[in-house]
Amino acid sequence: MDKPPPHHESISSRWSISSKDKEVTFADLGSKRIRHGSAGADSEMLSMSQKEIKDEDARLIYINDPDRTNETFDFTGNSIKTAKYSVFTFLPRNLFEQFHRVAYVYFLVIAVLNQLPQLAVFGRGASIMPLAFVLLVSAIKDAYEDFRRHRSDRVENNRLALVFEDNEFKEKQWKYIRVGEVIKVVSNQTLPCDMVLLATSDPTGVVYVQTTNLDGESNLKTRYAKQETLQKATDLETFDGFIKCEKPNRNIYGFQANMEIDGRRLSLGPSNIILRGCELKNTEWALGVVVYAGSETKAMLNNSGAPSKRSRLETRMNLEIILLSLFLIALCTTAAATAAVWLRTHRDDLDTILFYRRKDYSVKPEGKNHNYYGWGWEIFFTFFMAVIVYQIMIPISLYISMELVRIGQAYFMTRDDLMYDESSNSSFQCRALNINEDLGQIKYLFSDKTGTLTDNKMEFQCACIGGVDYSGREPAESEQEGYSVEVDGVTLKPKMRVRVDPSLLQLTRNGNATEEAKRANEFFLSLAACNTIVPIVTNTSDPNVKLVDYQGESPDEQALVYAAAAYGFLLIERTSGHIVINVRAEMQTFNVLGLHEFDSDRKRMSVILGCPDTSVKLFVKGADSSMFSVMDEESYGDVIEATKKQLHAYSSDGLRTLVVGLRKLNDTEFEQWHSSFEAASTALIGRAGLLRKVAGNIETKLRIVGATAIEDKLQRGVPEAIESLRIAGIKVWVLTGDKQETAISIGFSSRLLTRNMRQIVINSNSLDSCRRSLEEANASVARDDDDESVALIIDGTSLIYVLDNDLEDVLFQVACKSSAVLCCRVAPFQKAGIVALVKNRTSDMTLAIGDGANDVSMIQMADVGVGISGQEGRQAVMASDFAMGQFRFLVPLLLVHGHWNYQRMGYMILYNFYRNAVFVLILFWYVLFTCYTLTTAITEWSSVLYSVVYTSFPTIVIGILDKNLGRRILLSHPQLYGVGQRAEGYSTTLFWYTMFDTVWQSAAIFFIPLFAYWGSTIDTSSLGDLWTIAAVVVVNLHLAMDVIRWNWIAHAAIWGSIVAACICVVVIDVIPTLPGYWAIFQVAKTWMFWFCLLAIVVTTLLPRFAIKFLVEYYRPSDVRIAREVEKLRSFSEPQQNMGTEMNQIRDPSRR
Amino acid sequence: MPSNTASSSAAAAAAAGSADSSTSRRNSKRPKYSKFTQQELPACKPILTPGWVILTFLVISVIFIPLGVVSLFASQDVVEIVDRYDNDCIPAPARSNKVAYIQGAADKTCNRTIVVPKKMKQPIYVYYELENFYQNHRRYVKSRSDAQLRSVKDENQIDACKPEDDVNGKPIVPCGLIAWSLFNDTYVLSKNNQTLNVSKKGIAWKSDREHKFGKNVFPKNFQMGNITGGGKLIPDVPLSEQEDLIVWMRTAALPTFRKLYGKIETDLQENDTIHVILKNNYNTYSFDGKKKLVLSTTSWLGGKNDFLGIAYLTVGGICFFLALAFTIMYLVKPRRLGDPTYLSWNRVPGGGR
Repeated sequence: MDKPPPHHESISSRWSISSKDKEVTFADLGSKRIRHGSAGADSEMLSMSQKEIKDEDARLIYINDPDRTNETFDFTGNSIKTAKYSVFTFLPRNLFEQFHRVAYVYFLVIAVLNQLPQLAVFGRGASIMPLAFVLLVSAIKDAYEDFRRHRSDRVENNRLALVFEDNEFKEKQWKYIRVGEVIKVVSNQTLPCDMVLLATSDPTGVVYVQTTNLDGESNLKTRYAKQETLQKATDLETFDGFIKCEKPNRNIYGFQANMEIDGRRLSLGPSNIILRGCELKNTEWALGVVVYAGSETKAMLNNSGAPSKRSRLETRMNLEIILLSLFLIALCTTAAATAAVWLRTHRDDLDTILFYRRKDYSVKPEGKNHNYYGWGWEIFFTFFMAVIVYQIMIPISLYISMELVRIGQAYFMTRDDLMYDESSNSSFQCRALNINEDLGQIKYLFSDKTGTLTDNKMEFQCACIGGVDYSGREPAESEQEGYSVEVDGVTLKPKMRVRVDPSLLQLTRNGNATEEAKRANEFFLSLAACNTIVPIVTNTSDPNVKLVDYQGESPDEQALVYAAAAYGFLLIERTSGHIVINVRAEMQTFNVLGLHEFDSDRKRMSVILGCPDTSVKLFVKGADSSMFSVMDEESYGDVIEATKKQLHAYSSDGLRTLVVGLRKLNDTEFEQWHSSFEAASTALIGRAGLLRKVAGNIETKLRIVGATAIEDKLQRGVPEAIESLRIAGIKVWVLTGDKQETAISIGFSSRLLTRNMRQIVINSNSLDSCRRSLEEANASVARDDDDESVALIIDGTSLIYVLDNDLEDVLFQVACKSSAVLCCRVAPFQKAGIVALVKNRTSDMTLAIGDGANDVSMIQMADVGVGISGQEGRQAVMASDFAMGQFRFLVPLLLVHGHWNYQRMGYMILYNFYRNAVFVLILFWYVLFTCYTLTTAITEWSSVLYSVVYTSFPTIVIGILDKNLGRRILLSHPQLYGVGQRAEGYSTTLFWYTMFDTVWQSAAIFFIPLFAYWGSTIDTSSLGDLWTIAAVVVVNLHLAMDVIRWNWIAHAAIWGSIVAACICVVVIDVIPTLPGYWAIFQVAKTWMFWFCLLAIVVTTLLPRFAIKFLVEYYRPSDVRIAREVEKLRSFSEPQQNMGTEMNQIRDPSRR
Repeated sequence: MPSNTASSSAAAAAAAGSADSSTSRRNSKRPKYSKFTQQELPACKPILTPGWVILTFLVISVIFIPLGVVSLFASQDVVEIVDRYDNDCIPAPARSNKVAYIQGAADKTCNRTIVVPKKMKQPIYVYYELENFYQNHRRYVKSRSDAQLRSVKDENQIDACKPEDDVNGKPIVPCGLIAWSLFNDTYVLSKNNQTLNVSKKGIAWKSDREHKFGKNVFPKNFQMGNITGGGKLIPDVPLSEQEDLIVWMRTAALPTFRKLYGKIETDLQENDTIHVILKNNYNTYSFDGKKKLVLSTTSWLGGKNDFLGIAYLTVGGICFFLALAFTIMYLVKPRRLGDPTYLSWNRVPGGGR
């Protein structure tokens, strides 16, 4: 029991023994194994194996000779270092990274300016403190993260692997593995590096790997060792050969190399390499030669985070930042100019003015100017001092606050109960942290169909055999049972049950009694045989029952194999040489003589099987469009016609259809095929094309067996979600690879299309016809009244003519006026093109959602990319900004969280502008009364703490927590989403209103005490304290006035912040060595202080309060009305009334 | 072998785990429900209804108007005598070059007479008021050493004090421009030829006397430099008792300011004539600074200043007016709250905004 072999392995071997007597082999082929799978190696999207690798782009690896391999080029070793810093490099490197942020550089420049003695406005400590604080916090966070990375690196590097050295396999730590070494990996081990397979425990050279760590896909993938290396690898010592492969790159689906052994050249593709991070499964051992190690492995090269995007709001905000900078420069110029005028008019008296006294007479004999460098320099210095004093005009703290707020928002999004997916046990993921608020402004939604709108859980629904439709359903009670078969006392059951048609079931049970039954059996045999599914037998709690689980890359194939199993054709074992099918309790072994894998050109796949009755048959399965052309129409015309009709009916129901055909091959045909297949699969150049040609040649004159219809079930809540999004004013575009009828029927079932929509179908085969139909469509759309809504349906062929062409504009115009757009037969690369078409022509935000690798380009192209963590692996998630389990979560994501985030962030930016500008203006007004010198009555510590401590916390809390409307009303009135689309939460107009308010408020805060204390004994510190407290109170009350939901956290933040500011002011004033010692106590005991404070608070906020009310009352925004509804619903409105109101609201907008 | 197989597969199945529902429930990533994480904390969500707004304005006006009246009364109660003397105290012939006169050696004594307009209750504060004197000038406010004022051992901390930091290498205590420019006009008040006692005790903040200015810090090298800025200090009195200096060192916030000179602790009757013998020593002439002598009582709200009262009345009045205006608007053109016809998607295009 030390090392249990993979469970199904032993079972299948037992069966192969038990069924040995039935095994039939071709005499001439028995010794030869079929080299299959290399065909699939080069689906041309991913590799370019046709091309020779140029010497300068290649690396040479001598197999089992690491010394020679590393002689000329010292390839990277296998130790990895994800940690960024070492103890010594931490400080400089971390600082360097942190200062990549412009905000920090600004901070630093200001702090440095302040260190010049002529410009020293703040004390050293006060000027550096905020920057130091922020840097320190980030550095601690980085250090901790790096420490953890160091630890995991160490663990990773010290793992052990078996390396062939001195004629035996020795354990070696991962970090010492070198390129060129031969490594042995055993079952369930993780691969230490990228290696080319030499041999495996399987005699045909197959290995199964799980790539969960790499791309998240949990199904098993097959990889192959080359036939030529299989035997040679038994004697590794004499193994002599080299591999010439491409330079390291991050494409995990591509690999291109040539191997030369014994003077023979073999070409290697992605199916011959296994990558670091994969796990070996169901294979006892595998031998491979290291080609990429350490940081050059594909896994490590892919180890970078999601691409960073910038939010629209932040980009918009930069304009206002520039305005603020101009404003800052204006203030500084004013200060410098007025100072210059004063110095000029008093230039003769500077030595005698008591409060200036230019000369330092202690320097003998004449006296020297103290801290005076001449008129020009004084202006210059005054200007820069002003920049230092007014630095927070540019709200640097805003950037940090925004980051914190986004983290907070992301926390709440990920914790949202509504966006948790039970079936995949995944909660919402925020992968990009800087575009939360973009979710509130989406105007265009591009959605993939399969796996996104639908579950991608295929269910076999109907079969059409010999033109006869079998789509009846089994009565409910017998559904419990499902098909099972007993083999050697063990009951085998397919893991998934399929509903069966009783009449068809009966038919298959008849054996080959009738012609019909024979056809039915043939049909299911084809389904069970013609695929690339790997059956895996798993145990259940009952030792006598085992489940057969079908693993494969295509869910359609899975569904078909399960269906075949339900009718008694249980696929039990697959090796590269044969498959074992249990046909109604009878084991039958078929030799796999050839396999042409699916490619998107042929749109079909085929296998050539040596059947138990010694015949050789070609089974072909593929899309109807590609299948009918290769059928033998003469002999089976009527069946084909009947099938076509049936297929049309199926696809109108939204079912996915496939057609199955077969042909018996005679010996000459087979021989001919065999030799050309051999030649093609060993060809070095253009292998994929040659193989396709071979497949094309043999896949002709087929006899039609039947057709299948698979239901691609819509995900739960998709129709409702699409309807909500449509009402919210989001244009939904569905991009699918399905054919037009299927796409349209899915469109109807998902409520993307409705019966009262006029459909414009563009379905052209040439540029001219495409142009004509588009222009016609454009004209008809332009002519139409707004009453009729239009759906645009366009197929991939037409899109080829449209994209990258002047027709893009026409299409865009038509699409803009359509309420739904459906693109069918779209190739993956076109998806990004369609997104780009819209993105480049409008400033509206786009969102793309998808689940598969083919959606990655579209997800990255769109402003916001959402990945569905579903069936098709995790590439989409890895490329996305947000990831979730179900399409319908888009509704709460956009309508609720997006709405909130946008409104919160928009308000926060405006508020931060206001908050800092108020303070700066207070400082500025004072300059007009200090002889134009940059004295601040407010202590320097208060200046520094103002934006960090006194006022920052509430805005962050409100930015995370405030909700302008409740979740319920946002979901029931999707139109409220328009707030973000119309950019009502943040605009230049709002900015200017805020700035006017700012000027008024700062003036009131400054001048009320000024006039009240004019000509009194008030001292600088006391007045400064009054201004500080007044500013903090006003700024916080201003926020309080705009807070919509007062929960205890909001209360704590706002009132706590005022209290904190007062405490800070008190603390500063109890330090005896500061000039302001005890000032706050002196001033706060006078009535005057409190009278001023009260007057300030009321006067500053009065205009805002009145105008806010007037606007909200007489020009109510949608949000305001909805808030009233939300608030008053409970008491003033009868429930009945609300109901009709809702209907009224639900009416789709006609704007 | 068979037994081996069975148990190993069982182990594998258990390891796979995903099929096992109890395991999956345990590993569920479902976010834990709480009102906080679902952003459903109980909250009050006030909205500005006309009622609340009008009420707010009314409340403000009801508070502000009386406060304004009270403030105005307080200000009116204050009796204040202001006598500007900077010009008058320079003999007519010297007025063409005031700076020369003030820097000269001539006797600066000047006699002033002031009449009490109204009864003044004690304590009556005697202030000097300076105008156009920027005690808040950046150069000036920085030119001090608080450490040095507080303790003897820090007397060498004079870096900030330039250009008045040391004399011949020895530190000046108190150093800096502020101390150097100490105000040094003196007033001797008499009523009916009887000297009015002007108390100089307790004119500075208690906190300053006790903690900010050291009890054992004595003036050193003060006003010994080439030019004298203002007053001198008594050498053997500790700084904590030199209250004129302490008052002066509390730099004024605004260019027009008063500083307390002393207190008269007897009442003054209406039409009392007060004779002031004044030493006009302080040079404000080089920058057109005005000097005034002020005798004033105080109210609970401070000195004579109508601004706050007027401000309160104005704000209160505006609020009252707004309350009225909003009430009328509300009556004339009300809007039903929560009326969906105002929603943008319910308004007829073009007929809306």
